[in-house]
Amino acid sequence: MFDVSVNNNQMEGHVKAKEIMEPVKETLTPKTTLKDAVNRMRIARRGKGWAGVKGMIVLDNGNLAGIVSIKDILRAIIPSYLALTELGEFTWDGMLEEMAKKVADKKIEEIMTRDVITVSEDAPLMECADLVVKHSLQRIPVLDKDKKVVGMIYIRDMYQAIVQALFDKEGKR
Amino acid sequence: MTPEAATASQPFVMGASFWTATIIFLLAYALIISEKVHKTVVAIFAAALMIVLKILEQKEAFHSEVLGIDWNVIFLLLSMMIIINLMKPTGFFEYIAIKSAKLGKGEPMRIMTIFAIVTAILSAFLDNVTTVLLLAPVTLLIADALEVDPIPFLIAEALASNIGGTATLIGDPPNIMIASKAHFDFMDFIYNLTPAIIVVMAAFLFILKIMFGKKLHVRPELKQRILEMDERDAIKDPIMLKKSLFVLSIVIIGFVLHGTFNYEPATVALFGAGLLLLLSGTHEPHHVLAEIEWPTIFFFMGLFIIIGGVVKVGLIKWMSIEVLAITHGNMFATSMLMMWFSAVASAFVDNIPYVATMNPLIIDMAHQIWPHLQGLKLLHNPELMPVWWSLSLGACLGGNGTAIGASANVIVIGLAERAGKKISFIRFMAYGMPVMMLTVLISTIYIWLRYYILKI
Repeated sequence: MFDVSVNNNQMEGHVKAKEIMEPVKETLTPKTTLKDAVNRMRIARRGKGWAGVKGMIVLDNGNLAGIVSIKDILRAIIPSYLALTELGEFTWDGMLEEMAKKVADKKIEEIMTRDVITVSEDAPLMECADLVVKHSLQRIPVLDKDKKVVGMIYIRDMYQAIVQALFDKEGKR
Repeated sequence: MTPEAATASQPFVMGASFWTATIIFLLAYALIISEKVHKTVVAIFAAALMIVLKILEQKEAFHSEVLGIDWNVIFLLLSMMIIINLMKPTGFFEYIAIKSAKLGKGEPMRIMTIFAIVTAILSAFLDNVTTVLLLAPVTLLIADALEVDPIPFLIAEALASNIGGTATLIGDPPNIMIASKAHFDFMDFIYNLTPAIIVVMAAFLFILKIMFGKKLHVRPELKQRILEMDERDAIKDPIMLKKSLFVLSIVIIGFVLHGTFNYEPATVALFGAGLLLLLSGTHEPHHVLAEIEWPTIFFFMGLFIIIGGVVKVGLIKWMSIEVLAITHGNMFATSMLMMWFSAVASAFVDNIPYVATMNPLIIDMAHQIWPHLQGLKLLHNPELMPVWWSLSLGACLGGNGTAIGASANVIVIGLAERAGKKISFIRFMAYGMPVMMLTVLISTIYIWLRYYILKI
């Protein structure tokens, strides 16, 4: 699933974000409900691959407003009093499911991560890798000069670049 | 020169510095009330202005017992915060809360009553905000488990913490300030205020039952969730817990005895904080110290300097003359006025700046009534005593009146909102105002009966 250009370019040491990013096909809006968002993430496909994605960007009139990952959804379901304390041992069977139903109608804008870490199309892969590690990210939206989202780069794709830097196609080197 | 003599001897000329200090004072208080700027920021800036504009010398602001920062209050607050910060991670407070819920056998009304009592008792020894911050999360958990509305529980806890805090010297900042200014010891509060609070608390529990008793019903299978909780799971650090309880016992014994051995409460608390820090074996006190509520501490420091400024220029003396003009020196009338005015004022404004202003005012007033008395003979004059207690009862219990009357209320409302449960100003007042009126009325009867009829 990796673009051939990755191979060609990384030989030169010139791989940039735009060369390994994948197109963004599905997005959410701030007013999408949590339940809808979960459903969209469940059936969406990443690239040509399997169904189900673990994160989606939120666009408001075409502009990046936030990003939602499964972690944001979990965070929305965990009551604030648990997040603030060490009361995890006092929860009960079925509580997670109960809470999920309670927050099903919450709007995405209430739960999304607003301060999205992004990179420009020309960002070197090292910058992307650094951001991924510093901020515990799984994916970084790629923006063009007009600050519009043009793609997404994923932690696995960066790892793949490392793999390919160390081994050739036959697995030698 | 005794502190109070110095206050009375301040020159009282309505000149340039009088008006400068008065304007700083009024603008600062107006800004604090408006909440347009954070109260700590206002206090620090206004305090600096008092010194920059030469109302107070820096030496007076930093070192004068009469005009400057009351370090007794500051160190008592700091030390108690250190002790609590060290105690929090042990899980002790969660243990107490879960245990209380189990004692209530999953019956919501019983749980609410027990929580109210526990909150009141904890608030008598810890600050109210800490108490509700520790108990509210467990309350929200219990309410979710029982599938009941948590708001009645949270409001009950805020109200109970303000009531319980009134009972002791260390329970509520107004009491700490009154004790320091009027030289009361821990037992003075136990002897004079705790009986009132026991009666008030009993009445409060009765109103809780009337207000919420009929609304709270729970399916039996949900009660099981509470009964299955094991409070022992809450204890995260049993060794540190033992050390903390050991030190806390020493501190409480120290408070009880501090008057006898001639120690200030701050000394007792500082010893406790130092000992617990030592016993904790921490090599990195940074975390514990960083968690001190510095904004509160600096708010106090700024406030003391602002008040020092207006005391020095004579504004407080002018106010005390005006009060005397109303009461004609009748001490019963003064007590009653103090109680109700304090209650109404504290329902709407922070009772800390209020009491900071009233303390020197009472002393100035006493000076005018008994010019020949000085020192403790003046401060602890039997006729003046009920005025101090009325100030405490009014200022502390008045905090229950509205959502903004006390920090505990603000905290509880904030926590509820984070949990997706909004408590409107009106809804809080619907419960808080009747409770405030009734508790202040009971306190009024208490003061009248005890100090003016029975004279004990």
